[in-house]
Amino acid sequence: MSEHIDITPVDAIVAEIGRDPQFVIPILQAIQAHYRYLPQAALRRVCEISEITPSAVTGVSTFYSQFRHQPVGDHMVHVCVGTACHVKGAERVHDAIRRELGLEEGQDTDSAGRFTVQKVACLGCCTLAPVVQIDDVTYGHVSPDCVDRILLDFLSREKDDNRKRRTDGERAAAVDLGEIRIGLGSCCVASGSGDVRDALEDAVAEIAPDVQVKRVGCVGMCHRTPLLEVVKAGEDPALYARIGAEDVRDIVLNHFQPDSLLGRLKVGAGRWLETLYTDETWEPVTRYAIDVRDPPVAAFLGRQRHLATECCGVLDPTDLDEYRESNGYAALARGLTELTPEQVIGEVLKSGLRGRGGAGFPTGRKWTFVREAKGTPKYIVCNGDEGDPGAFMDRMLLESYPYRVLEGMALAAYAVGANEGVLYIRAEYPLAVRRVQEALLRCEEEGLLGDDILGTGFSLHLRIMEGAGAFVCGEETALLASIEGKRGMPRLRPPFPAEKGLWGQPTLVNNCETYALVPWVLREGGESFAAMGTERSTGTKVFSLAGKIARGGLIEVPMGITLREIVEDVGGGIAEGRQLKAVQVGGPSGGCVPEALADTPVDYEALISVGAMMGSGGLVVLDETDCIVDIARYFLTFTQEQSCGKCTFCRIGTRRMLDILERLCEGGGKPADLVALEDLAVTIKRGSLCGLGKTAPNPVLSTLKYFREEYDAHVEGRCPAGSCSALIRYGITDACIGCTRCAQQCPTDAIAFTPYERHRVNDEACVRCGACKTVCPQNAVIITSGGKRVEWDQEPADAKGNAHA
Amino acid sequence: MPDLVIDGRPTTVPDGSTILDAARSLGIEIPTLCYSKGIAAGTSCYVCAVRVDDGENLVPSCATQVRDGMTVDATGDAVVEARRMALELLLSDHIGDCVGPCETICPAHMDIPRMVREIADGDMTAAIRTVKAHIPLPAVLGRICPAPCEKGCRRGTHDEAVSIMLLKRAVADADLAMEQPFQPACLSESGKRVAIIGSGPAGLSAAYYLSQRGHACTIYDEHDKPGGKLLDGVSRELLPLPVLEAEIAVISSLGVEFRLGERVEATAFAGLRQEFDAVLIAAGELPDDIRSAWDVTCSAKGINVDSQSAETSLAGVFAAGDVVRSVRRAVNAVAAGRGAALAICRSLGTDVQAELSFNSTIGKLKPGEAEEFMPEAAPHGRVEAVADGDGLTGPDAQRESRRCLHCDCRAADDCGLRIYAEKLGAKQRRFRPTERSLFRQIRQHASVVYEPGKCIKCGLCTRITETRGEELGLSFVGRGFDVHVGVPFSDALSAALTKTAEECVSTCPTGALAALGGQNQC
Repeated sequence: MSEHIDITPVDAIVAEIGRDPQFVIPILQAIQAHYRYLPQAALRRVCEISEITPSAVTGVSTFYSQFRHQPVGDHMVHVCVGTACHVKGAERVHDAIRRELGLEEGQDTDSAGRFTVQKVACLGCCTLAPVVQIDDVTYGHVSPDCVDRILLDFLSREKDDNRKRRTDGERAAAVDLGEIRIGLGSCCVASGSGDVRDALEDAVAEIAPDVQVKRVGCVGMCHRTPLLEVVKAGEDPALYARIGAEDVRDIVLNHFQPDSLLGRLKVGAGRWLETLYTDETWEPVTRYAIDVRDPPVAAFLGRQRHLATECCGVLDPTDLDEYRESNGYAALARGLTELTPEQVIGEVLKSGLRGRGGAGFPTGRKWTFVREAKGTPKYIVCNGDEGDPGAFMDRMLLESYPYRVLEGMALAAYAVGANEGVLYIRAEYPLAVRRVQEALLRCEEEGLLGDDILGTGFSLHLRIMEGAGAFVCGEETALLASIEGKRGMPRLRPPFPAEKGLWGQPTLVNNCETYALVPWVLREGGESFAAMGTERSTGTKVFSLAGKIARGGLIEVPMGITLREIVEDVGGGIAEGRQLKAVQVGGPSGGCVPEALADTPVDYEALISVGAMMGSGGLVVLDETDCIVDIARYFLTFTQEQSCGKCTFCRIGTRRMLDILERLCEGGGKPADLVALEDLAVTIKRGSLCGLGKTAPNPVLSTLKYFREEYDAHVEGRCPAGSCSALIRYGITDACIGCTRCAQQCPTDAIAFTPYERHRVNDEACVRCGACKTVCPQNAVIITSGGKRVEWDQEPADAKGNAHA
Repeated sequence: MPDLVIDGRPTTVPDGSTILDAARSLGIEIPTLCYSKGIAAGTSCYVCAVRVDDGENLVPSCATQVRDGMTVDATGDAVVEARRMALELLLSDHIGDCVGPCETICPAHMDIPRMVREIADGDMTAAIRTVKAHIPLPAVLGRICPAPCEKGCRRGTHDEAVSIMLLKRAVADADLAMEQPFQPACLSESGKRVAIIGSGPAGLSAAYYLSQRGHACTIYDEHDKPGGKLLDGVSRELLPLPVLEAEIAVISSLGVEFRLGERVEATAFAGLRQEFDAVLIAAGELPDDIRSAWDVTCSAKGINVDSQSAETSLAGVFAAGDVVRSVRRAVNAVAAGRGAALAICRSLGTDVQAELSFNSTIGKLKPGEAEEFMPEAAPHGRVEAVADGDGLTGPDAQRESRRCLHCDCRAADDCGLRIYAEKLGAKQRRFRPTERSLFRQIRQHASVVYEPGKCIKCGLCTRITETRGEELGLSFVGRGFDVHVGVPFSDALSAALTKTAEECVSTCPTGALAALGGQNQC
């Protein structure tokens, strides 16, 4: 197939971005934004008119998973397969979408060319799991049986595209009649806060035009999004959770009365009419008004300490004045005017702050190395390439507190002597990129970045570099290679970036959260920070809490809190009344901490001693329906896909580990496989070049240590958790009343439609999607493995509250 | 000038030296694959891994700079085990045969592909040398061998196996028709004497190879004529007597003494042990009473021997062929005789060059894979003999030889992966993949053939093309396990390697990039 495309836009793109080899990634991103893929003719043109070589274009464009070399359908369907989504059935959702679109094996675009289906590592909306994103519309809590309605909903929205779109522009400041705050973090937007805001602005315009509608960043209570808070003089603030666009009018009316009688009548009629129309909404939304003094809310927020997320739920993410009013930039002012760089570092050393990216290297010492390194210029880099499937701290910090991250970077740059820097942010976080971009502009306008900051003569120029989809770029040497426009391949350390980093110059690389903590440290003093937490792990840590938890979300807790306290007090225990099995800490680099060790404190060394690690801070809670071998396989699938392919142990070793884990989950495992698995894990850990490979075996090593019997069971062809589809069967017991719901739900007609008779599952046709079990009112659908009913499925049929027939 | 200690040996090296440099200066051998002096280290293969300062972690010695006071473990058990695992992982993803399956299956491990290429080149003198390096009775075996080699021939997956047996017969017959048949070079007399009991294929074979190394051989046989089973076990029609006699004559011409009509009883046996430096029992299947007369330990199958040294329970007494285990196949007996001869040479203190035995194998070809090899081979079907029982004439043999796929590796003798796999005892099947990648062969270059399945992704070639200023060059494509070396924009290899082909081929640590033509053609 020859390509007939107009390549003239390529010239403009290159002219705008630059001809230097370092710009290859932004150029490819711009080309893909234009053509929706990378046409070969366009790539050849890039080589003709720039310094970029054919091998660089080829190497880079095939390294990063963001880049596509084939045309795609009209719409991209991204199925999130992050950890939280995985444990909540993302695979089955993915299969259901493919079935719905009639995709054959090896095909990812439907025959009509409308949809292209892709898995993505993590969309960072873990609390809404499973999540599916179609173009820019995100659907949360997706189940296999509702994918048809989602596709329909999306297409109907598209038709409705003419409806007015609002910009992020601010309304004129209103008098202090009241304020309605709406959360606009990604989770909130994903669960519909954009629509809510549209409805809110309509309602406010109509009912109470003087009330201000204010956007605020993530409140962390992602399990209850969208959230809306009404603050009115003389009233306690009222917080509404899980609201829909259709609820907004009622809420506004509850607090604000229209000015005129006519207005009141009009509103009344409108409400009645709307109720009629909105009754048929496809997914009724459960909603409650919650009070922050409700015990669960108090618990969710009460155990937390907000440092990196200070003023959470109050600040408008991009409102610089508001940030400054809330102590923002006080630390930078103090640092630049009162302290020498050495004193800034001294304060950070005193605080005991350690890198929040995972490895926990003492931040003050790193800064000292960079400060003392010979060579100018020096660079500063913010690592916002959060790729851990199941973690979204960086996303939230960049989206909600961009100024705090920038303030921290400015302090760090002053301390180490850097005047230039880069924020490397995942391309999967478009909102974070937009907000930081806006914040950078504002800071430059206000003299908080750029030349002569705050009149002190210190200058710092920062820019954003968007990642292109490679988890390994979270590794600092790979990240630096990526900024230089190369394949994101880690290199051997030493020399460390502090000595030879970006362009061979001394470079400070810290994680977003580390920078976000710096202003607090400088403002309140290193000792106050060190007073929190444990002896060697001070301060607070931000976690994304997801999985089988009652209240998931973004939390910031003092170090030293135990995992059990997080699960039970902050998270409200396990969802659906099940039992805690393990907490997966640290994502693909971490390990599974079993329930018996749940009293382990959050502390770098304590977590390593139980085979996990702090990692970037993903906490995924597992219950007894989660198969441990499957979890290990899941993480190996991830690291294996994300391996850069450089060193033998990681490139081939992780694949061989995955081969074994897949055989175990498919029922083809042998006892010798477990020996090989352990041999591989130990040597890969010792022998890999970078952190990705060195930690990739952790999920296997920790589960082999604590859940060996589950591995043994898989060798015998059993999955005790009833999760591995090749090792389980669905069946229907005598409790069946013949209501036919299962037969109607079954996507493959594996259950014959036999009203009033006991139904049966045709095992050959069954795809183990579980839809029948979900809809059965009698709990008559059971799962067996190795001829035995799985343990958690043992409760009597009426335990669910449904009467026995 | 930092001081460091490697394997307990202190040394001082110039600033900026790597651990590898330091170790080599001490004469400590560290294997390397992805490292090539003068090219930036890629630190990918980890075959050069060492441990530093007693730490658990392994570091690549090729790129790790020495520090003052460093202690290095370059040859400890943990280090060697890790290197072995690195090799085994590379081998688990290595889609290539070191030697052709024909050669692997041939009990005598004759270098069949080389012979076939020599026939194709019309060089029958070279061909007989190749054949006789492993088989001293090719004219005989060219008539009676069941030819297991042909069952493994990869060409058979496409249409029909190459007619290996008839090609070998053609080589041998052509040689015997010469006025002076091929005579192997023999070392000068060693002064050692070996008695061989039995003049069947095993005994004859042993005598042929022992004589070449200067050992004087005497063959004892109770029959009046030499040949053992070859005399009475096969039909004369299949194996005419003159053919057998001609090949025995060549062996005899090396100075082998035949003591025919002599049955070696217990007393005589004891005498032989006294008189000779070594005794080889190659007497074929024997009645129990004779075997027990020699007082060697036996099992129900035959005389017990050590599998490596071929030695029996009696010092200096060796055994080979059907007397050890009855196979009743001449080619096996020939192979066993040669093996025992080399073992005896070793026991007599003769230097025998070890043969590379490690062999990576693809296993069964998948649909379409045989066709990947086809561009080089003649497309026509098997060339048949004029009549059943006939051999192939010269021109026909040449036509038939051109059907060979050249599936054996062009780098079999100098492949780093193979050499270190052999040295470190790596096993290709330790980490079995659930599904192996497909074999591919890219021939878009006049002098280079690229087999991606043999690439270890070291990137040496990509760095060569980059630094030597190739306009297109080679590049890594993709990432992770699926990464491969390719030509940008999927252009032809000829466009990628315009001036660096030779350097890339000679630097490639495996047979991934190999030269077309050259030694033995193709």
